[in-house]
Formats: sequence, C-alpha cells, structure tokens
Amino acid sequence: MSLRPKVIDFNDRWPTVLDTIRCVISLSRYGAINKQTWHTHIYDLCVSTPESHAERLYEETKRFLEDHTTSMKKDISDADQDMLTVYVKYWTEYSSGAQYLNLLYGYLNTQFVKKRQANEHENYPSIECNLESNDQQLIEIGEMAFDCWTKIIIEPLKDRLVNLLLEQIHRDRINESVNQATIKGVIMSFVDVCQHRKKFPLELYEKSFEAQLLQATGEYYKQEGNRLLSVLNCVQYMKKVLLLLDDEEFRSRKFLNPTSYTKVYNECHLYLIIVNMEIFKNECNKLIVEEDMEALQNMYKLLKPIQTGIQYMVERLQDNITHIGNEKVQSLKGENLPTLFVETLLELHNKYGNVIRDVFSNDQEFVSSLDKACANIVNMKYDPKQASKAPELLARYCDNLLRKSSKSATEQEIEDKLLASITIFQYLDDKDYFQRFYQKMLARRLINNQSTSIDAEEFMVTKLKQTCGYEFTGKLARMFQDIKVSDDLNSKFLERLKVIMSADHHHQQHQQSSTTTTMATLIGIDFSIYVLQANSWPISQTSTNTFSIPQQLEKPLHMFEEFYGNQYNGRKLCWMHNLSTAEVRMCHLDRPYFVTMGTYQMAILLCFNESQRLTVGELEEATKLNTKELEKQIQSLIEGKFLLGNANELKSDSVLEINFDYKSKRTKFKISFIGQKDKIQEAEAAQQAADEDRKFYLQAVIVRIMKARKMLKHNSLIEEVITQSKQRFMPSIQLIKKCIEILIDKQYLKRTSTDEYSYVA
Amino acid sequence: MINSCKNKMRIRFKEFNGVAIWKWIANDDSCGICRMPFDASCSECRYPGNDCPVLHGECSHCYHEHCIKKWINSQQTNKLCPMCRQEWKSVP
Repeated sequence: MSLRPKVIDFNDRWPTVLDTIRCVISLSRYGAINKQTWHTHIYDLCVSTPESHAERLYEETKRFLEDHTTSMKKDISDADQDMLTVYVKYWTEYSSGAQYLNLLYGYLNTQFVKKRQANEHENYPSIECNLESNDQQLIEIGEMAFDCWTKIIIEPLKDRLVNLLLEQIHRDRINESVNQATIKGVIMSFVDVCQHRKKFPLELYEKSFEAQLLQATGEYYKQEGNRLLSVLNCVQYMKKVLLLLDDEEFRSRKFLNPTSYTKVYNECHLYLIIVNMEIFKNECNKLIVEEDMEALQNMYKLLKPIQTGIQYMVERLQDNITHIGNEKVQSLKGENLPTLFVETLLELHNKYGNVIRDVFSNDQEFVSSLDKACANIVNMKYDPKQASKAPELLARYCDNLLRKSSKSATEQEIEDKLLASITIFQYLDDKDYFQRFYQKMLARRLINNQSTSIDAEEFMVTKLKQTCGYEFTGKLARMFQDIKVSDDLNSKFLERLKVIMSADHHHQQHQQSSTTTTMATLIGIDFSIYVLQANSWPISQTSTNTFSIPQQLEKPLHMFEEFYGNQYNGRKLCWMHNLSTAEVRMCHLDRPYFVTMGTYQMAILLCFNESQRLTVGELEEATKLNTKELEKQIQSLIEGKFLLGNANELKSDSVLEINFDYKSKRTKFKISFIGQKDKIQEAEAAQQAADEDRKFYLQAVIVRIMKARKMLKHNSLIEEVITQSKQRFMPSIQLIKKCIEILIDKQYLKRTSTDEYSYVA
Repeated sequence: MINSCKNKMRIRFKEFNGVAIWKWIANDDSCGICRMPFDASCSECRYPGNDCPVLHGECSHCYHEHCIKKWINSQQTNKLCPMCRQEWKSVP
C-alpha cells in the first residue's frame, strides 16, 4: 500500500465508501464490510492531489447520517404503542455503530476535523463555541452521528416519548409490571447522546425529561400523601412514608441517571413530609413523653433532611429531659442526698444517652441537647439567692466513695463510680466551688487517715486534672505530697528516737530488739505527725486557739520540733491542735472503750482523771481554751454522753460530771468533733473562700488580657474574660465590673473613654 | 492495785495524730525586696514552700532566695544587703 498522494475522483470512490458506512452504522444489517480496503479509501480521499476530498467526504457522510436517521425516525414514529421498544432497539444499534464509525474515520477526525477546529480557535479565540453555532462547526464523525440522532429523532418525538415514559413509571409506582430495560434504555439515551458535548451535556435530559418527571412525581405524592393521611394516624403514616421513600429511592436507581436521585427524593420529601410538618410537630411531644422509640426513630429519619424539623425535635427533647430531671432532683430528700442526687442524674444521663444513640444515631444536635439539659438540671438554683447545691453534693458524693466505711466496695467499683461522677462534674458551672469542697473533704480524709485507698484518691485527681488542667488540681497534688513526706518523716523520727533512747537507757538495750520497738514503747504513746504546707491546705491559720497541751504530750511534741528543726533548717512548726486527733482508752466503764476524738476533747476528758466533778471554769483554767471553743467541745462531749451536764446552759460555775454508765455496742469508735452547725458554717466558709478566689482569678485574667491587647472596649473585655474563665466558673457581669474597678483603683488599668480601657504598664 | 489504777487513770491517752504547718523562721513577715509575705512565694514563683525558700544573711536580714539572688546578680560591683548596705553573706 502506498502512502503517496494519488489523483482520485471522488465520485468513483464514494459509492464503495457509502456501502461500507451503511454496514457499519447498522452493525452489518446490510451486508459485510471489506475491512482491508476501508482505511485506504478514507486516507486516499483525504490526501488526494491536487486537492483533498476531505471536506466533500465530511459533507457526504453527514448527509448519509441524516438520511439514515430520518428513515429510522419513521419506523419509530409508526410503532405507536411499541414506540419505546423500537426506539431502544434502534438506539442500541445506532449508538454502537456510531462508535465504530468514529474509529474508522480516525484519519479524517484527526487530520481534517481537529486541524480545522484548531485553526478556527486561533482565528476567533474570543468566540466560545455555543450551541447555535454547532451546525457550522466541524465535529468528529461519531459526534456528528449523535447530533443527528438528537436533531432528527429525539427533538420531534420527545413529547410522545416522555409521555410514554411517565406513563410507564406511574404504572411501576402502582405496582403494575413494566419493561425495566426499555424504560432505562430510553431515559439513558437522552444522557448518552449528549455526552460528548463540552457544555451542558445534561441539558437535553434535564429539560426534556427530568423536569416533567419531577412535576409528575410531585403531583403523584401530593395526592398519595393526602390519601394516606385520611386513613392513617401519624405513627402509621410515618411508617408508610418510610416505605414509600425507600421504594422511590429504589425506583430512581432502576430508571434514572444518578444526578436525578436526590431531586426525586426531595420532591417526594416535600409533598409527603414538609407540607405536613404541622402534623409531625403536633405528634412529637407526645411521642417523647410516651417514649415511643420506634415512632421517634421514624420521625427522626423523616425529618433529618430538614434543619427546622430536627431543630424542633431537639428542642422538644431538651425541654422534656430538663423538665423530668428538675422534677426528679427536686423530689429528692433524706440523709443520702449526695448519692441520690448524683445517681439520679447519672441514670437520666445514661437513659437519654442511650436513646440518642439508638434512636437518633448519636446526632450531634441531640447529643448537645442532652448536654444542655443536663447542665440546666445540674446548675438549677432552687433558691435564687443561693448558689447551686450541685458542687457540694458532688464533692460529698466523692467523699462518701473515698472515705473508709463499713460498705466494702472493690477498687474497681469505686473507680467506676468516680469516673461516672466526672460526667456530672463536666456540667458544673461552679467548678471552683466544687474544688473548694473537694479540697476540704480530701484534707479531712488525709489528716484523719480515712481514705479507702490512695490509688483511688490519685485516680480521681488525675481525672479532674484531665478535665480542668493542672492549675485546678495543683493544690490537691501537693496535699498528697505532704502526706508522703510526713510518713517518711515519722519513720525517720522513730529511728532518731531509738538512738536517743538507747543512749539514755543503755542497760535496757538488750531487752528490746529494734524491729519491735514502737513509738509507744519509747515515749508512752503512739505518735504520728502530719507536717503541712499551709498554702496547699484549706486551713485558716488565724483560727489557731490558745491551748495548754496535756502534760503527757509536751515532751514528744518538743522532741519532734527539735527533730524537725534539724531536718529542715530555717523552718518552724505551728501546731494545729484543732485538727489533731487522739485515741483514748476509757477504763472507768463497763468494759474498756477505745475512742478517737479531737485533741481538745481529749484534753478536757483527761482532766476528769483528777476529779469526777469539775466546773467549766476549772476546765478553762486547765486547758486554757477560750470560752467559746471550750463550750463547743463540752457540748459535744455531753451530746456524746461522756459527760453529764446541761449543754444548753454553760456558765463558769456549771458543774460537769463524768458519766460512769456510758454504754456503747462497739468498743472501738470515733466521735465527731465537728457538730452539724459547724458543717453548715464550713460549707459557707468554703463558698466564701471560693468567692474570694474568683475575684483574684478574674483580676489576673483581666490583667493578662489587657497586657496583651493594650486597649479594649468594655464589651469585648467582658466577653474575653468570660471565655477564659468559663471552664472554671461562670463569672457574673457584675463581678467582672467590680474587678475592673478594683484594677483601676490599683492603677493597672485606665479608662480612656466611657466604654474603653487601656493597660497601664 | 488494780482498783487504785482504775481510780487514778480512768482515761488513758493511747495515740496522738498531730497536725502542724511549717513556716519560715524569719525576723520579718514579708520579704523586703518583693514585699510579699514569706509564707507566700516571691513574685516569680507559683507555689510557696519548698520551691521558694527564704535565705538569711549574716547581717540578720532575710529575703526570698530568688529575690536576693536576682538583686545580687544585678549589682555591678559590691554585693550589698539592700536593707543595711553591709556586704551580703548568706547563712547556710
């Protein structure tokens, strides 16, 4: 085969070419192709001299394709009721034939069409090829074939075709049988025939078919929805609608181009759900109250696509949880309030957490509605003048868990409960109040050696630290440290004592082996000391009372002071006898009792070794306690039935007598040295201290912000302060203003105008 | 013998669990440099106590260790106690 251009007469060659094209486009319906010569014909015509026949070939081919489609159009149009079937048959044949044809016209496509297109583009670069000018522009033969189909078959027949399609789809909706492949074939031909277009390839599909389909769909479901509502109640209707939506989704996949799936769904959704929104809204609250989970789940599925619908459900749920929670919490009473409070909240949180997981697929909006409801319940103030009780109750709950008690729980159980209490903690507005209460109770547990386990204590502090940061738990951690250091100190002190004692009583040394030597054998009493760093502990140093320590204690305490001074140069100890405890053995009763009590109580009781009857004045003289403190201690001993006397009327000459008839079931126990009254005072003090802290904290926050910003408007400053401190507590605007005033007085800030401040370096 | 013991020592003291707080021994309540109490920390520290000790000078004045060291280091020539202008020598 020669590639050299030849002189060729177009009219000679064309009939051969025409035969071949006809065979290809109809997939050999009209006889076989001579494949060998095919390429040569196209090539020869294109490169012939003196003039190329390319243009002529292009025009003649176009004319042929137009004739061919016109004849098919007639067949389709005449088929009438079978129109869709015939259309699909011809389309299937023609569309693959066109693809082959395109391949076989490869040389013309690349050498003639592409080059001409490129030239035109160069000459008129600003003119974008629009749809109207498509006729004038040269296009590849395959594309030309598709365009012919569109122009000659689809355009004139589309109304009839679409009507037939819609009829078929309607029959499918009412469960009559249809030919799926035919319907899908016709519909997809609208897409495929325009695929090669660079602009708006879906225009034909969308304008000619989809728009009509959507309209028909809307009308169908509008009627269907109304019909269903007239026979079904809301719960049944929702169930039915979910099925309908599923069906329609499936139908879309059966027949349509993927771009239509959501459009059809939206249309169904509009007429089945959105227009009936009020019906759902009216039902929603009832379903939540009745806890009809299945119906709620259905409603959620139906309303999920609509923001306002979900919003309505979220609000209803939140209101309900808040209402139920507040009612439950308000009805709680009794001794065990902290436990009841926390467990009620956890139960509620857990219950609705599960509902949201199972019914609302953990939808973020619902999760945050539970959070808001819980925060509302937890921080509810039952007395508007007082702070919420939650911080104290939660701290007491933890205290109950962490304090040694007769109820034995495993370490794991305790940790699980502590972890659950963190859930409630996260909802607290006044986390700083909680911190104060917690610190106070932790101090008592540690000093009185009442912790169930140090591991559990540290577990809780770690969890608090994870939630609120190092600063929040810094003091708590330092308290543990003091206890550890003190334990170490006590064993060192014991060693030291052994050395001193063995020097003093050299002759006794061989009698006591050093391992069994205890404090008791060395100095007469068991003795241990906690040395604390004042600032880490919730101890008010001003309350140290005058007190004359019992003579038995003088020597050991003095020895310890001396020992401590040697261990830590430059430090001195201040005894906090109001916090110290003592165990005494009472031998004057029916059997010996071992009672742990406060040091002051112990000192008072010891006086009765000398005399069975003493006046208040005599006790004051002996203990040097101030009158108020003494009276409080005597009252507690009368309440405990260790002393006999009139607790309500204590004067200097009132006589007190030791009770020889005291009886108790247990022989080893502890008496409280803080009365109920003190407990209330203590709670108030904790809150006051926290309020003082708030002022300092806010001032620090304000200074930090102003130092960075230099100038700031009043409102922006308030906003910043709230953002920075809300993790700890919700500051009132009033308090922030007060702190700004304090800082202006202290000359940290200056007012530059009525509503702006600047930082004074 | 037993009776007399019972009468004399009806209530016996077995065990003592004492609580004490510690303070710095100092001849003043607050540091002369930062004006903060010795029981609180110097202005650079977060926590008082171990982390922010008090230092005594031979001249009998005392300061937060961090405060006096900063002061001494900032002096070009004579290392003097800021209170009495005597040469600063800390008591170990």
